[in-house]
Amino acid sequence: MKKIMTTLSVATAALTLSTLAVADYPTKNIEFIVPWNAGGGADNVVRALQNPVEKALGTNLVVRNISGGGGAVGFSTAVGAKTDGYVVTIPTNATFTLEGLGNVGFTYTDFEYIARVLVEPYVLAASSQKGWESLEEMLNDLQENDRPLMVGASGVGSSTHIMAVALAEELGVRFEVVPYDSGANAVTAAMGGHIDAVVLNPSEVVSGIDSGRLTAIVTTGDERSGALPDAPTMLEQGYDFSVSQWRGVAAPKGISQEVEDRWVEAIQAAVEDPEFQRAAEMMGSDIMPLYGDELDEFVENTARLMIEEAAKLAQ
Amino acid sequence: MNDYIDALGLVFQGYVLLAIAGGTLLGLIMGALPGLTAAMAIALLLPLTFGMPPVMGVGMLLGTLCGAIAGGSVSATLLNIPGTPSSVATTLDAFPMARSGQAGRALGIAIVASFLGGIFSAVVLSVLAPPIAEFALRFGAPEYFALSVFGLVIIASVSKNLAKGLAAGLIGLLLATVGSDPMLGSPRFTYGNMSLLTGINLLPALIGLFAVSQVLADVVDYFKTEKADASNTPIDKASPRWIEVLKHWKVVLSSSVIGTIVGAIPGAGGSIASFLSYDQAKKMSKTPEKFGKGHSEGIIASESSNNSLVGGSLIPMLTLGVPGEAATAVLMGGLMIQGIRPGPTLFTEQGAIIYGIFIAFFVANIFMMLFQWFGIRLFIKILQIPRKLLMAMILVFCVIGVYAVDSNIFNVYLMLAFGVLGFFLNKYGFGTAPVILGLILGPIAESNLRRALMVSGGDWTVFVTRPISLSFLVVALLFLAFSLWQNAKHKTSFA
Repeated sequence: MKKIMTTLSVATAALTLSTLAVADYPTKNIEFIVPWNAGGGADNVVRALQNPVEKALGTNLVVRNISGGGGAVGFSTAVGAKTDGYVVTIPTNATFTLEGLGNVGFTYTDFEYIARVLVEPYVLAASSQKGWESLEEMLNDLQENDRPLMVGASGVGSSTHIMAVALAEELGVRFEVVPYDSGANAVTAAMGGHIDAVVLNPSEVVSGIDSGRLTAIVTTGDERSGALPDAPTMLEQGYDFSVSQWRGVAAPKGISQEVEDRWVEAIQAAVEDPEFQRAAEMMGSDIMPLYGDELDEFVENTARLMIEEAAKLAQ
Repeated sequence: MNDYIDALGLVFQGYVLLAIAGGTLLGLIMGALPGLTAAMAIALLLPLTFGMPPVMGVGMLLGTLCGAIAGGSVSATLLNIPGTPSSVATTLDAFPMARSGQAGRALGIAIVASFLGGIFSAVVLSVLAPPIAEFALRFGAPEYFALSVFGLVIIASVSKNLAKGLAAGLIGLLLATVGSDPMLGSPRFTYGNMSLLTGINLLPALIGLFAVSQVLADVVDYFKTEKADASNTPIDKASPRWIEVLKHWKVVLSSSVIGTIVGAIPGAGGSIASFLSYDQAKKMSKTPEKFGKGHSEGIIASESSNNSLVGGSLIPMLTLGVPGEAATAVLMGGLMIQGIRPGPTLFTEQGAIIYGIFIAFFVANIFMMLFQWFGIRLFIKILQIPRKLLMAMILVFCVIGVYAVDSNIFNVYLMLAFGVLGFFLNKYGFGTAPVILGLILGPIAESNLRRALMVSGGDWTVFVTRPISLSFLVVALLFLAFSLWQNAKHKTSFA
């Protein structure tokens, strides 16, 4: 009897707690899964978000770097987590390319996308030793000499690799994509003139461009990148092509509306934080928050393109 | 000049010095614990630095980096467990010396050699960073391939028995093929396991091969002798050995040069620097046969090299904005969040800050030496802990450390498997250092071989028509011949 009573009271207590949890979310630390090692682009974003989001939510964010499989392990862990809102992760284009490459068991619809926070376009930057100042010069040179462009990307199957393939298709020229272990290694090779160009994100090439070793040829965003204001977009150059890398917050599908609302509020506060704004600027990213239906539409469009291109690569 | 004076003002403030000291101390502790890496220590401290002025925050992180590398040598010396991959070569001589009752001497040598290596690289960083970065840019895929071939030749030098050492190196190279194909992305030997898609993680392999295998060996030892307790090993006086190290100033100098340059080449697999230095010290030595048995020159070479690596690795990060490996990548993230964008403009536009960073790096090296100087008597007490307790504790730390890297339990299993492998490799005289060399260099050699051929359009002559690549290959051949000759002469090999 006593046993049953205890069980009952524990059960009631648990019940009250769980209702409370929804009302007063969050009541405990929130785990933020970063599917890559410390020190990567996504990791830097999460660590810059950490302070302002903690302030807004009134709890601690525990950053867990679950790396492996180019993000596959971390995203899979996040998908499999409880949907109580105490586990979130950072979606990027990699969430989609992993699906397209066929290496993971989840699909992009297994996530509830809470917010898009930062956007950075992809940039095609050429080694300055090539002497190209514009996209036109580069294309003409390639066509005249009938040779492929040696393009470095940040890893086989990475979103930069897929973007390089997509760009070549759009521009109608041949790219020979050389995958490197990291964006940094690809940039080093291009700065040294060992390859012709790289397709990466602005933050990775800004130093090289500042030093005059790299020239930004074209970017892929809707608008010009804040980090590379002089580089034209594909749209400006007359191509109907716009894809960007993005970083945001997502949870496993099935979190409550309350949890989502609390997070949206927190992100809205975070993007106003001057310290976060300074960090974003330094990372070469543009703060372009998106929530709700607009976000869903953005995810839908980007996912379709990235998955399609990645699937082609996997064949 | 004004910038330098401003920079001094930025560094020599109570709080800034305190932050650097705190970072160094934390780095030392984390570096000494197997499995906790420099990158992790920096990531842990990163949020703390957001509210600090730039030089203070960066100084603290630099201290952590220096401390972590130096701390790695403490466990390497006393327990045969390298705290970081860079300290693997230290175990080769420091542990045998410690086992023979001269743990204090081994640590004393390591401290001084680390300090001198660190200071050397700090000087190079402050004076020669831009030209060295320029040199590093001349490394394309063929050069990386040639450098890794050169690195693989060292296996001959760190093996007690040449044939067995080469076999162990091959095991490492074979294991290095696990994971996604670096050029095509198709999975190899992953058996559907996502954790293996990016290959075998180096850290669990390192901890397994060195720490877990040592624990297993001690357990076996304990049951065999029933009382085996090393805690009553006599311990000598523990203090820094300045004179002994300075006597070998040539080894210090050449090892520091190697460490700084390898560190400055991003993606060259930094931890091979200590092996390269060890190898050249052995070749230049009048007493090469003493290496691997507790020889001071071996410790000096490895330690001055792995600490000069730190300064070297800051060169491409600060001057070109490209981090060479994990720890500097996290550090660069920290800089950017501080509002400092690494790259050439840093030197022209924010002179005071860059010089502040240089000075903070000097200061961090001095703190590192002082902490070790005073801590050495404390470290050595580890040896008085009953062996069976100590081994249990080490195993716990290994599991925590490996799990903490990426919160992936698979890596813990991987570590245990490597522990068993390491145990048998040691038992039958194959050694574990060649496996690690194979694991580190295998992916670099493979991907750069294929990259080079991709860029050259399948033309193999790129490896011999480019001067840097050709010289590495020629030197590798010469070293191999020399190793064989040295081995034959001292009859230590070819069983």
